[in-house]
Amino acid sequence: MSLVNFTTREITCKIVYYGPGRSGKTTNLHYVYGRVPQSRRGRMVSLATQTDRTLFFDFLPIDLGQISGFTTRFQLYTVPGQVYYNATRRLVLQGADGVVFVADSQARQLDENLESLQNLQSNLLEHGVDVRAMPLVMQHNKQDLPRELILTPAELDDALNFRSVPSFAADALHGQGVFETLKAISELVLKKLSAGSAA
Amino acid sequence: MTARAVEGWTLQPLTDFVREASVRLVLLMTPAGQVLAQFGFSRALDVMSAAALGAAIMASTGELARQLRQAPFAALNHQGQRHGIFLSSLATERGAVVVLAVYDLDVSSLGLVQLFFEQMAEELRAASPKQVSKQVLAEDFERELSESLNTLFGR
Repeated sequence: MSLVNFTTREITCKIVYYGPGRSGKTTNLHYVYGRVPQSRRGRMVSLATQTDRTLFFDFLPIDLGQISGFTTRFQLYTVPGQVYYNATRRLVLQGADGVVFVADSQARQLDENLESLQNLQSNLLEHGVDVRAMPLVMQHNKQDLPRELILTPAELDDALNFRSVPSFAADALHGQGVFETLKAISELVLKKLSAGSAA
Repeated sequence: MTARAVEGWTLQPLTDFVREASVRLVLLMTPAGQVLAQFGFSRALDVMSAAALGAAIMASTGELARQLRQAPFAALNHQGQRHGIFLSSLATERGAVVVLAVYDLDVSSLGLVQLFFEQMAEELRAASPKQVSKQVLAEDFERELSESLNTLFGR
């Protein structure tokens, strides 16, 4: 859950990148890490296996600067995508303010995308959170692969985007769609925070 | 080195703990890794990394306890050659607070840290507010948000 302090005027929010194994969640964070000025980001922490698969999470704190007089910081997390790491995936979701679902655009990965979406819903429910109440953005990653191997963003929206949340075609390795995705989830999270605070 | 608190009610118990237990670094945080107060860190963004890792350790041992069908482990201690790390949590009116303390073995000890952790836990429980008042964020929040994101991402 976001932390808002009106005395010190600080906002801290947690955003979790979710999705099936090898869909590009860590790649998103690596790209953000490489492009955000050093003064505006912390160290990137990766708890990974020897073969660089995410074991627990990747973590990257970024400083959005002053927004309406509030020092605003985001904590970006990824979850391990592999099915058998569900216990750690559930732990990382705890206290999330927003979720980016990184889908693998390859046609043969469609079932894995669906399974991961269902897993997201079930893990949020374990934390007492209805997925419909959670700010969510979809990213259709690997759109740079040959056309015959992938589904189009429209096809992926039809198959995965049941809530018609904002979705973005991406090539996270080269950065296309990475900041658009992060910007969209940032706006959703902070707008919800702003609305909740005014309520 | 000064203590800094995002939530003011945590500051005095933290300051007392640092002085009495002679610890080098301390973090008070939520179970999700949000920092409530800190002592000894220089960069706010580095604090977040330490908090994320500390919260992850607590979460994973808590899950192990759940799978063993036992109550969560009360505290964890990792002892290195020069430093020790102490991790524990306590319940307050504002919810659970996770505490991470790093101490030098030549100026403090696990026993000292545990002793004064209990004292800090009592002080935190007594000081924690029951309710947090909601205040309205500025009306131009959304416009400034968009400008800040564009600046940060160089767009």
